[in-house]
Amino acid sequence: MSGISLRNIRKAYPNGPQVLHSVSMDIQPGEFVVIVGPSGCGKSTLLRLIAGLDRCEEGEIEIGGRIANNLPPQDRDIAMIFQSYALYPHMTVRENIAFGLELRGMPKAERNHRAEDVARMLQLEPYLDRKPGALSGGQRQRVAMGRAMARNASIFLMDEPLSNLDNALRITMRTEIKELHRQLGATMIYVTHDQTEALSLADRIAVMKDGHLLQFDRPAEIYDRPSNRFVAGFLGSPPINFVDAVKLPGLQGMQGLTAGLRPEILSVHEGKPGEPALPARIVLSEMTGSDMLLHCDTPAGRLTAAAPRRSVSAGLYDLWISYDPDRALFFDSQTGARVEPTHHA
Amino acid sequence: MKPENPFVAVLSLVVGLLFLSPVLYSIWMSFQTADDFYAGRVTFTLDNYQRAIGQFHFARYLINSVIVSGLVTVLGITVATLAAFAFARFSFRGGDLMFGATVATLMIPSHISLIPNYLTLAKAGLLDSYAGLVLPAISNGFAAFFLRQYMRGIPKALDEAAYMDGATHLQVLWRIIVPLSRPAISSMALYIFIGEWNNYIWPLVAVGKQDLYTLQIGLARLYRINPGEGLVDWPLVMAASTITILPVLLGFFLVERHLVRGITMGAVK
Ligand SMILES: Nc1ncnc2c1ncn2[C@@H]1O[C@H](COP(=O)(O)OP(=O)(O)OP(=O)(O)O)[C@@H](O)[C@H]1O
Ligand SMILES: [Mg+2]
Repeated sequence: MSGISLRNIRKAYPNGPQVLHSVSMDIQPGEFVVIVGPSGCGKSTLLRLIAGLDRCEEGEIEIGGRIANNLPPQDRDIAMIFQSYALYPHMTVRENIAFGLELRGMPKAERNHRAEDVARMLQLEPYLDRKPGALSGGQRQRVAMGRAMARNASIFLMDEPLSNLDNALRITMRTEIKELHRQLGATMIYVTHDQTEALSLADRIAVMKDGHLLQFDRPAEIYDRPSNRFVAGFLGSPPINFVDAVKLPGLQGMQGLTAGLRPEILSVHEGKPGEPALPARIVLSEMTGSDMLLHCDTPAGRLTAAAPRRSVSAGLYDLWISYDPDRALFFDSQTGARVEPTHHA
Repeated sequence: MKPENPFVAVLSLVVGLLFLSPVLYSIWMSFQTADDFYAGRVTFTLDNYQRAIGQFHFARYLINSVIVSGLVTVLGITVATLAAFAFARFSFRGGDLMFGATVATLMIPSHISLIPNYLTLAKAGLLDSYAGLVLPAISNGFAAFFLRQYMRGIPKALDEAAYMDGATHLQVLWRIIVPLSRPAISSMALYIFIGEWNNYIWPLVAVGKQDLYTLQIGLARLYRINPGEGLVDWPLVMAASTITILPVLLGFFLVERHLVRGITMGAVK
């Protein structure tokens, strides 16, 4: 288990644009960090720098209290799951999983035993003697995962390790990863596009965009106190509603601000309620299971509200939407930065 | 591969026979006695083979050829593989220049280097030795170029995964790159082996001692055994030639099953 410190990391690929802009992060030993961000924002690049597969032009990478900028990957004690899997095509699943152990001089019987344990955990036992070419995408992904898990590394880097699995398997694997983290106590950095994974696995979430680290904080903080409009919009499903603050009832006077209203802070009423509310017309309603998602047109713009399914009567068309002003978020319309409102109505 | 079209099948057969005909003719000839051959009679005898093997130190030449071609193949492949790995995977100062120089050697006729090589080895006192026969042949620009191109087709992520697993550069080469380049390495080994096996000029120049003669030189000497005034004992020469091509054929059959592609399947998604 080692901590990782990144200080002002900048990276540009040869003849390419700048991919990382002065990224700084302090990751505690044993911490589970999830990195999220849109495609191409530099997540994989950041992992490759930590792994030692690429060099950064500027900045410092410290691993376990040691400057690691020039440390080769073999000496960093890091296990990595590649986004592309990178399985050894000429080796069986068993050999793929045991290769790292073999290189570290573990005797054959022992490493095969270990490979079988890992394969059992990943439900890969029937395929131990197959080569990667004869596996499905999801099976390959699990082999890639097994290869990292077999090793008792002090840092795990996982680049979208569950992206190719079906839902049931993904949930099982998520639990396994959490359990692995608890058992090994290793530092883990995990890249994902899945909100649920991010929010449920992370001790802290790092949100990236265009090579900038926008916010690095505990999931609840990120959700409740996003540093800017992008972060607020990126996490949360269904996504947050953005409306011009002045168009909301009771908020006149908040010029130049955008309000962020998460669907769950909106309540729907069949008749006009006592508190400030907007008249709304349902454009589309979606069933998500326990809730209904109501996409409505209002004078402030399109709003999506979540309401318990039971509370919405069938055939409802016109309704009223009110919101909890204490839970509304406000952003500077120009810069996108979140601001604490100075006054409520 | 079975051609569907009967016309293609027949054409392939005809072309194949055309290429094979000199070989078949010389094998047929090797079973005639010289007298019968010149008299136009058809017989069958193994006498030529016995004489070929008994002539001079035929067994010695064979052993020399095996040793020299074997060493050149093993050392040549080793050098080419290491060079190809460096060219394919590392960027270092002067790397492009060195690769350019390697490719440039392909355009130099081998006879141009004959005299410089001779002088160098003479200075080093290596003429008339196995080292003298082997050393000049172990750097093979074409093999290095060919293997480099092949290795560049192997996803770099595989190397990276192996480095993460704790491999050193040489382990990555030996455990990942070499097994995945097997078809290319086998082809190049065969190519180097045949080239060296058929090499005539350099052994002729570099070696004076009979003990170090290779088969090709021995073969050339058989021309001097005359069955009659002004005649070459062609059946004897053909018997010796037939013996000479056997190891090459054997090598081909050994390597052939490795000459298949598609082994990187399933590495990356
Ligand atoms: N080897 C490379 N050479 C040049 N540019 C590269 C290279 N690798 C990545 N990039 C660029 O760097 C940027 C960041 O890439 P990166 O792979 O880190 O994105 P990512 O956040 O992992 O995206 P995704 O979620 O799609 O995996 C992209 O714009 C990409 O085009
Ligand atoms: Mg990526």
